[in-house]
Amino acid sequence: MRVFLSRLPAAVLGLAGLALLALFSMMIGKYGSGPGPLFAALRQLVTGEGSDPLLATVLWNVRLPRVLAAVVVGAALAAAGATYQGLFRNPLVSPDLLGVSVGASLGAVAGIFLSLPVLAIQLAAFVGGLVAVLLVTGVGMLVRERDPVLTLVLAGIAIQALVGAGISLIKILADPYDQLPAITYWLLGSMTAVTRFDVFSILPALGIGFVPLVLLRWRMNVMTLGEEEAQTLGIDTLKTRIVLIAGATLVTAATVSITGIIGWIGLVIPHIARMLVGPDFRRLLPAAMMLGAAYLLVVDMLARSIASIEVPLGILTATVGAPFFLWLLISGKRGWS
Amino acid sequence: MSVFRGLVGLVALLLSSLPATARSITDAAGRVVEIPDRVQRVLAAGPPASVLVYVLAPEKLAGWVREPKPEEKAFLLPAVRDLPVFGQLTGKGGTANMEAVLAARPDIIVDVGTVNATYASLADKVQAQTGIPYVLIDGTFARSAAMLRETGAILGVPERAEALAAYADEKLAALEKSLAAIPAEKRPSVYFGRGAEGLETGLSGSINMEILEAAGARNAAAAAGKGGLTQVSLEQVLSWKPDVILASSPKFAHAIKDDPLWRELDAVKAGRIHVAPALPFGWIDSPPGVNRLIGISWLEHTLYPEAFPAKLDEDVRTFFKLFYHVELDDAQLAGLIGRDADR
Amino acid sequence: MILTVKTLAFGYRDREIGHGVDLSLQGGEVLALLGPNGAGKTTLFKTMLGLLPVKAGEGLLDGRPLSGWSRRERALRIAYVPQAHAAPFPFTVRDLVLMGRVAHLSAFALPGAHDRAIAEAALENLGIAKLADTPSTEISGGERQLALIARALAQEARIVVMDEPTASLDYGNQMRLLAHIRRLAADGLAIVLSTHNPDHALQAADRVALLKDGELTALGATRETLTPNALKTLYGIEVVIGSVPGSDAFVCAPRPG
Repeated sequence: MRVFLSRLPAAVLGLAGLALLALFSMMIGKYGSGPGPLFAALRQLVTGEGSDPLLATVLWNVRLPRVLAAVVVGAALAAAGATYQGLFRNPLVSPDLLGVSVGASLGAVAGIFLSLPVLAIQLAAFVGGLVAVLLVTGVGMLVRERDPVLTLVLAGIAIQALVGAGISLIKILADPYDQLPAITYWLLGSMTAVTRFDVFSILPALGIGFVPLVLLRWRMNVMTLGEEEAQTLGIDTLKTRIVLIAGATLVTAATVSITGIIGWIGLVIPHIARMLVGPDFRRLLPAAMMLGAAYLLVVDMLARSIASIEVPLGILTATVGAPFFLWLLISGKRGWS
Repeated sequence: MSVFRGLVGLVALLLSSLPATARSITDAAGRVVEIPDRVQRVLAAGPPASVLVYVLAPEKLAGWVREPKPEEKAFLLPAVRDLPVFGQLTGKGGTANMEAVLAARPDIIVDVGTVNATYASLADKVQAQTGIPYVLIDGTFARSAAMLRETGAILGVPERAEALAAYADEKLAALEKSLAAIPAEKRPSVYFGRGAEGLETGLSGSINMEILEAAGARNAAAAAGKGGLTQVSLEQVLSWKPDVILASSPKFAHAIKDDPLWRELDAVKAGRIHVAPALPFGWIDSPPGVNRLIGISWLEHTLYPEAFPAKLDEDVRTFFKLFYHVELDDAQLAGLIGRDADR
Repeated sequence: MILTVKTLAFGYRDREIGHGVDLSLQGGEVLALLGPNGAGKTTLFKTMLGLLPVKAGEGLLDGRPLSGWSRRERALRIAYVPQAHAAPFPFTVRDLVLMGRVAHLSAFALPGAHDRAIAEAALENLGIAKLADTPSTEISGGERQLALIARALAQEARIVVMDEPTASLDYGNQMRLLAHIRRLAADGLAIVLSTHNPDHALQAADRVALLKDGELTALGATRETLTPNALKTLYGIEVVIGSVPGSDAFVCAPRPG
């Protein structure tokens, strides 16, 4: 099955669908589902009068940030995944490949362990993610005359193992009643307490990170040809690769700092997007972003409504993502149906 | 006449637009929090807070962090057994659903436990997001009496709090006095084995071992250093040669009686294996709240049988009536504390 | 002379593969590089393409040293047609050929109508316009090779380096490919290709260079240079070379007995 959707109408359709989904998401929640609460809150906003003072809090302080975060985080992770899959010429890699998630985890876990304020924990996560990838790419640059892509992957594996050991160490030392649950839930990913401020605070990093991904979207195609071909076609592969990795890492680290680790989006969504619109990054990038945003919106809706307590997002995305991944492997579909 | 009516109308308007009366308190993190004068509904952010609110003012408890198991419910007031479950509010990635929390319309949120910059900033965040006052309370065991009094004042039940605090004061004072009479050699070294395998324990200074150390026992695992919960090996336990083994799980207690490896220990040979009672809330460690006060009585009785005459039954009955609001019959009492490994 | 190498030593950082190579490429001709496995053909090509630095001697492109050109400038002058093209993604043939335009575009530019027109022309030139919308993963090896050559054409480079272009093709495709190559040279391109098959050199090449153990053992016009002796030195086997009666064709065959 391959449907190469033609560009403009599909994009418009996609955005419209996304907007509708976001609107629908604003109407779901334990406080009260359906259009009623949303319209009442809007009326309150405009006219200043309403019967329920808590309604505004629920809609604008609890639901809206989550909807915004879902859109932004879903799009970012999918974009990063698509970028990595292209750079590493493998339709089955995720943005975690070079260690951004594990580095961010170490930052956050260390922050929780050291009892830092929340803002500091988020910053630590962001910085941790960047540092991990910096280490990996640094190692990659030290090694010459080997396939640079393979070198990065191997360095990524090693750094991740090292950082993972650090995280396990901290978990052992952590207070089991307060810190350890906080650490565990952070690692599982959630958007329970996301605020508008959280979302706005990552917009600069997201903006900066997206710039190279968008500007280099056609060159990205050439990068998928591999080192030799791309070089002989005239691209400075080292610079291009670094800039693209930096962009993808920035957006991933930014999202991980506010939501913890949400896996499988960066892996599975670009894959599906590629099956729908083909591998041309000019189409793949926007398609993946829209799909990623929609997917996370749906998953987030489930997380906050299927049980009496919140289900961590990482669990839901894995429950949906992993079987799909296995099906892809087994049915022999290798990303180019 | 119309002027007078106008004045009345104006005063009425003014009065109705006044906010409900509020007071400022300073919580354990030094945060100044505005709470309503009369607190009717309280949401507990974590398990120790649930216990605290339940003992002080069960009628004000909005819900549980996790659903109590059937055997736990048997020891709770009927009215609270089926309260809704909200999950843990402990900050980023807790399991509480924010909308459900708001829908429950609590007057305040209470959080008992460690107080540090992380939890202070999380409290600020939740408070800013939901508009519900979030109060942090220091849950250190030595502060139990003070904690009860402070929280009682917040919840508007000062007399009740005083009764409970007086019990705590008395208990801890009596304990200190009795312990002073027990020389160091008579203080047993205790290994507290958690989990079905019994190979998880708390290192020196860990919150799990807080009341063990308060009860004068020497933590056998202190030899392995300071820290939190950790996995240990049988070899380590054998090398520590504890005098008494406390088990959090009956499975562990039963298993080691017949295990030839564990039987090397004097504690096992002498039959000094005891299962820590855990209903309705853990008596020794989980959750780390005021529920541990009764653990003191039990520990005294178990660790120093000669020094503390056997009035455990009476102690337990009194505690359960005073704190947990339930009268225990003989069967329940026996079930609670007669859970030692068979001799 | 557009690309010249003088006493070129080439190899990797820690080992030298060859040295003392003198050759030059000119527009309108096909140069075939023959040599046994491990002779250094691919390494030499990589050095000429600028993928590996020159170890000693000179490599001049349009009069300037190879290292003096930026990658982009080099790509505007030399194109590479690789032997194998492992495609992880199903780009259409058209998209693949369009990628040849990247050296002509600035970093953030997207290909425009002009670029698309050039790509179309390249596809037409090699007779694969009908494959334009087919994913490159679904075409045959021979068609893929043509697509890669079309990409090199779209690159508008005057020199094309082809690494064993006939390697994985069937006989028919091999012949057709060689015919294309002759035609492109006739149009003015300088083409250097490597091959194991002396027959291909005899058919398509104006000049041959014989590389053994990193050194050139012979360089010159095909029919004069590709002699049984030369091939014996190169491959260690006895051959006969001669024309087929009633045609212009020269063939090479192992000497029987």
